[in-house]
Amino acid sequence: MSREEYQIPTGSASASVGGGAGAGAGGSSSYNAPAVRDYTGSGADGGTMYYMCGDCAVRVPLEKGAAIRCQKCGARVLYKERTKRMVQFEAR
Amino acid sequence: MPHKPPTKEELERRKIVGINEETITDVASSDYPLHYPGEEHSWDIDAFRRGFSIQFHHNDPFEASFSLIGIDASIANAFRRTMIADIPTLAIETVFINNNTSVIQDEVLSHRLGLIPFKGGHEGLHKFLKWWRKPTDETLVNSSYYDYNTVSLRLEIQCEHNDKAAPGETDPTKLYKHAHVYARDIEFCPVGRQDRYFSGADTIAPVNPDILIAKLRPGQEISLSMHMHKGVGSDHAKFSPVATASYRLMPVINIERPILGADAEKFARCFPRGVIGLKKVTAKEAAQEGSGYEGHEGEVKAVVVDPMRDTVSRECLRHEEFKGKVKLGRRRDHFIYLVESTGQWESDAIFLEAVAHLKKRARDLEKQVVNMVR
Repeated sequence: MSREEYQIPTGSASASVGGGAGAGAGGSSSYNAPAVRDYTGSGADGGTMYYMCGDCAVRVPLEKGAAIRCQKCGARVLYKERTKRMVQFEAR
Repeated sequence: MPHKPPTKEELERRKIVGINEETITDVASSDYPLHYPGEEHSWDIDAFRRGFSIQFHHNDPFEASFSLIGIDASIANAFRRTMIADIPTLAIETVFINNNTSVIQDEVLSHRLGLIPFKGGHEGLHKFLKWWRKPTDETLVNSSYYDYNTVSLRLEIQCEHNDKAAPGETDPTKLYKHAHVYARDIEFCPVGRQDRYFSGADTIAPVNPDILIAKLRPGQEISLSMHMHKGVGSDHAKFSPVATASYRLMPVINIERPILGADAEKFARCFPRGVIGLKKVTAKEAAQEGSGYEGHEGEVKAVVVDPMRDTVSRECLRHEEFKGKVKLGRRRDHFIYLVESTGQWESDAIFLEAVAHLKKRARDLEKQVVNMVR
């Protein structure tokens, strides 16, 4: 699968794309890559998508066909989550 | 007419750049062959040795000031440019962002991270670490990072509500945990032999731990790793070892006719503090015929104390009462350097390194020229 292909931001199988290439030499690397973040929450059940509440920044699970509304504060503005892929930049 | 060798005063006069109210004279040096009839002036190592000297004014780790006296502007400028653009330092070059939900954009955050100056053990930085070259084949990039050319850093930070905050608290730094991300939050991840060179006091850490990188609010997160490489200032300013390296020419103030009494005090105020001092006219000076001090015994006169502190503002030339009494100038071969280190090198070491670098480049050029002629 191409790296550039769209991936639904659920499911934990594709969570480790990319990864900051660690400078490993001599084999005795004491550098531990950061743990892969769990974006799906503990109860990952395929059809649930997560969004960010525009008001209180809480993660809102949304089922198909559910009302677009934050469970915590009731705000009706939800944002898509950021890509979980590592993005590389030059520090210039 | 036989040629007379120049007097000492004449040689001194030739070194001075004249500074007038609105013009500057004698900008270019004239100590080269065929400029003065009958005088040689070709460059000579012994003559250079005789005339050259170095004075240190202050020498702190982050700021050094010293004078090179008796050197040509071309060489002085070469040292300055070498210090700025050719002395290698270590800086963040690549940023791998896993997550960044802060208000600061990935690109801007990466740029800010790149500009943070870092320090570390000198042996490791200058001897152990080598250059990293990007492989021409893109697929080989990930296997080009070794412990001797790449330093790994990490920044993992999340902002949360602080439960212990007092009710009614409005200061975000108290209301939330990690509301501000500082340079000290960056974590060094030693790899391979790097432990040997960068541990304890020699660890790689930001020179200024209080540099603000980003501001967060609860729920926001920055999670990234970084690679540092060696580079030179000609590639990017973040690699420059100096905040600034500059020089100025030594100011010359010549009081040609006495400035006395209230005029002397006004004259002193035309200059930065400490440049002009006030002295009493002595009986001996007052007795001297034609000195301009006759009958002024006991009055104050202006004397030049420390011309180096002068900014050459030319304020004194604006006032009618000092017309014809003072001459301003600069010594063309006296360079007062100011080198401010960003922390990875000692300030004076940067200059020594610049000298070594220029020497090496001259040797390389010599080899090329020899090859060309052959």
